[in-house]
Amino acid sequence: MVKHLFIALISTIAFSTAVHAQNSTGHNAHDDTDHSEHSGHDHSAHNNSDHDHSHHDHTHDMDHSGHDHGHDHDSDDHSGMDHGHDHPMDMPGEHGMLHHDHDHADHHAHGEHHHHGDGHIMDHEGTHIMGQNFDKLPSSCSSISEDVEITVRAGRKYARQFPGTAFAFDQQEWRVKPCTRITWNFVNEDNIRHQFMMHGLPRYLYHLGMFHLENTGPRTVTGTMIVPAADETYLVHCDIAQHMEKGMKAQLVVGKGGKDIPSIPGLTPYVLNDTYEAIDLPKIADKANDGKTTKPIIQQITDFFNANVPFSGLALIGLLFGLVCAPLLVRIVALRKKEASNAP
Amino acid sequence: MPIRYFMASLAICSIFAATNIQASLKLPATVKVDPAALEFEPMCDPKIPASWRKAQMIEGVQIEASEQCSPDNPYLIAAVVKGTNNVSMNTLMETGLSPDAVIKTDDIDGDGDPDRIIIKLEVIELNGRTPDFEGMVPEFEIAPGIKPGAWVFAPKTSGMSTENFESIRANYLLRLPSPVIRVEVGDIVQIVVENTHYFPHTIHLHGVDHPFSHHEYNGGKHGNDGVPQFSELDLMPGQRRVYEFQARQPGTMFYHCHVQTHTHLAMGLAGMIIVEENRPNNWLQTLNIGGGKVRYPSVAVKEQYDQEYDLHYHAMDKELSQIIQKYNDPRLIAYEMNHKYDLTDSTEDYFTLNGLSFPYTLRESMIIAEPDQNIKLRMLNSGGELIAIHTHGHHAAITHYDGTEHNPIARITRDVFDMAPAQRLDLLLNTTNDGLHSYGEGAWLFHDHREKGITTDGMSEGGSMSMITYKSYLDEVGMPIAAHGTDLSIYFTKEYYQRRLPVWQHMDEAGFLGVPGEQSGFNAETKSTITNLTGGFIVGILVYLLIARRQKTWASVTSAIARIKSMKGGKANG
Repeated sequence: MVKHLFIALISTIAFSTAVHAQNSTGHNAHDDTDHSEHSGHDHSAHNNSDHDHSHHDHTHDMDHSGHDHGHDHDSDDHSGMDHGHDHPMDMPGEHGMLHHDHDHADHHAHGEHHHHGDGHIMDHEGTHIMGQNFDKLPSSCSSISEDVEITVRAGRKYARQFPGTAFAFDQQEWRVKPCTRITWNFVNEDNIRHQFMMHGLPRYLYHLGMFHLENTGPRTVTGTMIVPAADETYLVHCDIAQHMEKGMKAQLVVGKGGKDIPSIPGLTPYVLNDTYEAIDLPKIADKANDGKTTKPIIQQITDFFNANVPFSGLALIGLLFGLVCAPLLVRIVALRKKEASNAP
Repeated sequence: MPIRYFMASLAICSIFAATNIQASLKLPATVKVDPAALEFEPMCDPKIPASWRKAQMIEGVQIEASEQCSPDNPYLIAAVVKGTNNVSMNTLMETGLSPDAVIKTDDIDGDGDPDRIIIKLEVIELNGRTPDFEGMVPEFEIAPGIKPGAWVFAPKTSGMSTENFESIRANYLLRLPSPVIRVEVGDIVQIVVENTHYFPHTIHLHGVDHPFSHHEYNGGKHGNDGVPQFSELDLMPGQRRVYEFQARQPGTMFYHCHVQTHTHLAMGLAGMIIVEENRPNNWLQTLNIGGGKVRYPSVAVKEQYDQEYDLHYHAMDKELSQIIQKYNDPRLIAYEMNHKYDLTDSTEDYFTLNGLSFPYTLRESMIIAEPDQNIKLRMLNSGGELIAIHTHGHHAAITHYDGTEHNPIARITRDVFDMAPAQRLDLLLNTTNDGLHSYGEGAWLFHDHREKGITTDGMSEGGSMSMITYKSYLDEVGMPIAAHGTDLSIYFTKEYYQRRLPVWQHMDEAGFLGVPGEQSGFNAETKSTITNLTGGFIVGILVYLLIARRQKTWASVTSAIARIKSMKGGKANG
């Protein structure tokens, strides 16, 4: 159960169950407790406190209604959203059916977005930034060690290098120093939703221990976060059903890192493996053979025996046992006979 | 043979015989299942607040009450009635929908409702394989412990596919069946499919008035009919496509994937699409997630009916649904599904109503009636076989076949409604107690009368069975009150559907019909083990003897051959 594994992982980092990231007024209060990343944290307490309606306990004070064209953007807006006008069909036009080749840009206030109390920003097309953190230091860091900018590309084409996957990131592992401030540029190159979701971060800084970028491509979204000081390996994935399972999975290694995350394509092995067998597909060579396929001789013998010899595995064991015992028995019988003939 | 060997073999035989003879005098006692050994699930989904059942106003949308114990999320209803672009962020966050899931704009005909409707759908796998652990993600149960692998069209959501990071249960928007879509005659509708799945898919709008192709879009490169061979290429993973139509006729219709339809449809890529009659101020509940009661019916429906229900019947084959649980590699899944799986040798195992089987149908797909009501039922059969839905205690009238109105004078009133695959029926269920339309109040079953339709993988009671329950027969949480007063809790256990709970135990105090314990002595398995071992042992000894005494054997064989030859020779000579 990988999810449970990560609960354990989370618990090693987030020490206090009472602390919620949205409790943004109380950060300083946690500095006296240390993330010594061990021992005895009560997992169940996490689960109870954060279980349901993960979104619902935010304060969403922004009104999404009415696409007010004159929406006033803050000049120091860090939303990092790039609003490409590349969905001509998605945006309604105003005239009859089947005519959508004109630009609809002015029907909607592209660039309108909504800030929430805990670093959660979402625009009207579902582009998300969650757990954004420019300046709140993890309690294990005294200062930011360095500033790093990383561009992550996501899409189907990156899965080509990994047979048996469907979606992937362009890289499967990133390494940073402890206390690095990372600005992630998440470039979704498909025409569907993808996510860059990181788990296991300290919960007093990151709601539910998550840093999360999401958008519908082709589009870029940018978000910033600060990693704690501890050597740790964090899961990065896309949580859309089957995207992680089918390849969209990576890890962020901080410092020396912790335990590798399993099933990252090309990097770490699957826990459960598929079995592959040769499938009989037509080949040019078969044509020369007049369509007759010849099986290897051993295969033919095995097939013959499987089909014709009614002999169970246990009977085979019995047979071997009999072969071993028979000489002994014969010896015993012979001895008895000898005794019998000697007796009178 | 010395006498002692004879005695020894006799003794062994008598041991075997004795156990068999004495057995009938000591038959094993009935083993009772201690209820404490069962995992009882709550009858109502514990995550759904009771407050959702009440009639309420959200975002100016007056939502009808729903007495079901697991009613639809009223915020979701408000968001899809107004459009996700026209509701507050607070409401939207209560739904989990993407802000662009349902976009409603432009009152083109000036009648007070929006006429441009954009509906975004993703393709989601339920109960699929993961390379990380034994288990399925994201998990969706159609009945206690029953998790068939499935694919659905799902409304475009936001955030995680599971309830939260600690859970592997699917987010409530990701479920069977594919959602019921409602649009109005004359609406300019765009259904945008964003293929988030690892296989290609399309949408075919069965019965909906749609043009074969829309040349204005995408340089006329593809059609609009969803058929990969003739209309458009398969929509590959990671791609988006728009299906566009402006329907001129109303009716209960059907949409489904047309790629490798023989498997993709059965996997769950099928849903109801309803074109409502045009009326002024006709804001529609564009999506009815999970079907069932429509808590914001259209103006036209409200003119004639007191209530409306969407009832989507479906069926799935266990062997098909397991393919996505056996393999992770999409290539292996494709090979198994497209080449090795043979639909003509298949049988359907899971029968669902609105994506669920009994007892979960009681949570959200009961028809909750009051006397003297006119109730509209829209039914679709997306399974592979004919079904025959029987309404206990009621005769209903068929008003529409496949979305087309039947001549009202010639309407047929009956109590079994047969639907071939893909057919739709609209019924008028009149609850007037006149001995014809209704026999009176009660907790009446309605179910598929092909009896396998009331099983789940062959285990009854299950399948697509549900109830017509009058309010006077409904308890405070929204479950039907049985006339005999016992509860339905045994059906809310995994063990029941694992066939590990005797079906009559709760009323069989003495255990006459329970499960007997194991017989003492050798069981059948041990017997066959011993037989095989002994057989092999004897063969082994014979083989040894043949080899050890090969001279004698050879001699006897040659003499036997000689004798036969001489016999033949004698015959020939004679």
